[in-house]
Amino acid sequence: MNRHSIACATLFGLGYTLAASSHAQEVPNPDQWTPPREAKISPVTQDQLNAADKDTTNFLLTNVNYAQTRFHPAKKINRDNVKNLHVAWIFQTEVKESLETSPIVVDGVMYVTTSFSHVYAIDAKTGEQLWHYNHKMGPVTTYCCGPNNRGVQVLGDKVYLATLDSKLVALNAKTGDVVWKTDIADPELGYSETMAPTVVKDKVLIGTNGGEYGIRGFVRAYDAKTGKLVWNFDTIPEKTVGVWATKDATGRDMHRDIQAEKDQLAKIGDPYQKLGGGVWQNPAVDLATNRIYFVVGNPSPDLDGSPRPGDNLYTDSLVSLDLDTGKMNCYFQYIAHDVWDLDAASPPVLVDVKDNSGKTIPGVIHAGKTGHIYVHDRKDCSLIRFSEAMVPQENMWTLPTKEGARMLPGANGGVEWSPIATDPGQDLAYAINLHQPMHYRVENSPYPNGKLWLGGAFTAIPGEKQSGNITAVNYNTGKIRWQVKTPEPMIGGILATAGGLVFAGEGNGKFAAYNSSTGKELWSFRAGAGVNAPPSSYMVGGKQYIVVGAGGNTQVNFRRGNNIIALTLD
Amino acid sequence: MVSDLILMISRGIILGALLSAAPALAQSIAEKVEVCAGCHGQDGKPIDTALPIIWGQQAGYIYIQLRDFKRGDRKNEIMQPIVSSFEKDDMLAIAEYFAQKPWPNLGQPRSPKDVAQRALGAEHSVGCTGCHLEQFQGAGTTPRLAGQSQEYLAKTIADFRTRARGNNPGMSDLMRATSPDDLAALAEYLAGL
Ligand code: HEC
Ligand code: HEC
Repeated sequence: MNRHSIACATLFGLGYTLAASSHAQEVPNPDQWTPPREAKISPVTQDQLNAADKDTTNFLLTNVNYAQTRFHPAKKINRDNVKNLHVAWIFQTEVKESLETSPIVVDGVMYVTTSFSHVYAIDAKTGEQLWHYNHKMGPVTTYCCGPNNRGVQVLGDKVYLATLDSKLVALNAKTGDVVWKTDIADPELGYSETMAPTVVKDKVLIGTNGGEYGIRGFVRAYDAKTGKLVWNFDTIPEKTVGVWATKDATGRDMHRDIQAEKDQLAKIGDPYQKLGGGVWQNPAVDLATNRIYFVVGNPSPDLDGSPRPGDNLYTDSLVSLDLDTGKMNCYFQYIAHDVWDLDAASPPVLVDVKDNSGKTIPGVIHAGKTGHIYVHDRKDCSLIRFSEAMVPQENMWTLPTKEGARMLPGANGGVEWSPIATDPGQDLAYAINLHQPMHYRVENSPYPNGKLWLGGAFTAIPGEKQSGNITAVNYNTGKIRWQVKTPEPMIGGILATAGGLVFAGEGNGKFAAYNSSTGKELWSFRAGAGVNAPPSSYMVGGKQYIVVGAGGNTQVNFRRGNNIIALTLD
Repeated sequence: MVSDLILMISRGIILGALLSAAPALAQSIAEKVEVCAGCHGQDGKPIDTALPIIWGQQAGYIYIQLRDFKRGDRKNEIMQPIVSSFEKDDMLAIAEYFAQKPWPNLGQPRSPKDVAQRALGAEHSVGCTGCHLEQFQGAGTTPRLAGQSQEYLAKTIADFRTRARGNNPGMSDLMRATSPDDLAALAEYLAGL
């Protein structure tokens, strides 16, 4: 560890000299010559993954379990003793850039990723590096919001990673050696990968980024053993026009000029080929019905609706597929013909919810960039209710103009890609939010062959204060239970535990634990770089640990770092 | 404005290329990049302040620019003829070649405080670092801006704004959403990094 600290001091000392090299984000590692060590884990079985919701020892799936509740069942760290939480170890990666990784822990071995798709296996007790996979990145990478990576998943003896240059890679979980590698899509056309794969029943499920590049989005299943494609679901079907919806999911008028759109449609036909529809985050898996649930992002170009008449199905939607075939069961569109990039990115969560007659049914909830938590019937995706807005909403839905129209929330949300947590015992969902007043501007340009295609710009309004919050929402009533305001917009994620706590970090480096029933802050720590990643929890040797990445954030420009910080009690 | 000198060199090179058209096919990468030094500099420092640094630039970005010049998506009377005979593999190799070189120091002064403040205000509003990264060092197909020639930055920003540079409408939209005064401050600030 000491040698790592020295590396860090040197970095600051060199300041601009390092930044001047073309790979400034790489921190030289004096341990580079260290021979890799074996990560001694036993193969992860499907049964183990299915029971992840009860597993206090491991952290097996990006969002704790297939339902994606982000509720970890360990409770050694609880409301009474969390005040004594302290650093167990800090691991410094070689990449000083945005950390969005959800650490995965199997049998005392932790797997984390960094920007530019590096993977590290670390001893979860000591913080020692076991191995490092340094992906050889192709020259062409395209991304909208940073060269991020959100993590891996383990099944059997393999670790699955999707890379910025749009490849799917299976690594040997013990050694980090490549077992197989598959091209997902062509980065030169705007495709990239930042999400963690979800691996279930020998299928690796993966979406794609590229909604800022005029891609045609998809979710795919690859064979976990061989890397062969099993099925492909186009998030953009060949008929994208829909029902000419004039209102959003909450019933507000979106000011569409339907006649103008119809005229345009007659002229150019269905715009499905370049319509965007990326998928940012993991699907939830309903093991009982064998269905998956995910949300689809914005249409391309983001702010200009003129080249894409119609509802732009299935952008800005919740979608459910059959896990075996990839065939669609149902969808629900939040915003038809979105021209604000207020899309759907945060991963959906499967919980039991009350329907409108008060009956408990299987539900699925999603936190939108709009600042609402939407509650759906899992059977047909229909909307049961939406929560009170967690952030100020003003002038919705003012159309973007050439000069720039002010509207709240700003285009990052509300809730960005940040996963929410839930505590099903309390009917609560916990979401972190951004408040960024913005001007929405529209510009028109033809499809640019895989280049940035924004159709305008959203710009933060100088002089208007930004902030953030953590909000607990009762998903059975839609009412806010508590809210904690934060000085800066929040992005990264949140974790709830059976210890009656929620953990979340801020861009200013603060990482804190809150009472999950009241929002009262019980403990905090300053990481020195933005804590903008989802925390994980695990146990080794009878001790519970909380771990989180402190690497800052590219998208909102929070101070970068390269630390994975594990915390525990004596 | 591109100086007459560059145009003269350009004509000379194209003429030279025409005269030696046949062996051009068999050229190695080292031979292909020889001509570049005529403008972009023997030591990475361009011969004229109107010209961009390409030494140490991101490989993905260089490749995409060469591709775009060839396709005509990025228009430039000097660069287009130079790349017209390049195939994809040449362009990738040339991009890699220049990316490996050290970024030269043009010795441009750090911008004064008021200029830096104005630039950072505009940066904050648009979020340039969301793509160009924290130190404006770029990655992949997003270019490094830190320490690039101020004159070139100002010119290419203006070209994005008018869409004279039409190979990235997203960048054009962002430039059009930013005032010319802010952009001038950004060019000065970035050059001095
Ligand atoms: C006769 C002068 C000249 C020569 C020779 C020349 N270039 Fe250029 N190059 C230019 C000019 C001028 C520009 C700026 C074009 C503009 O403003 O759009 C440019 C731009 C570029 C750019 C885009 C840089 C950026 O930051 O966007 C690349 C890449 C490039 N040149 C590569 C090359 C390579 C590789 C060679 C040799 C094969 C070469 N150039 C030879 C004059 C030249
Ligand atoms: C959404 C991502 C994104 C944002 C935000 C962004 N850029 Fe860019 N920028 C790019 C990409 C990608 C390119 C490469 C363009 C191309 O393909 O030709 C680029 C190119 C440029 C260039 C041309 C550099 C050269 O060598 O020719 C300049 C200058 C530039 N950007 C400045 C800015 C400034 C200043 C801001 C903020 C006010 C900004 N950019 C914001 C993505 C972005």
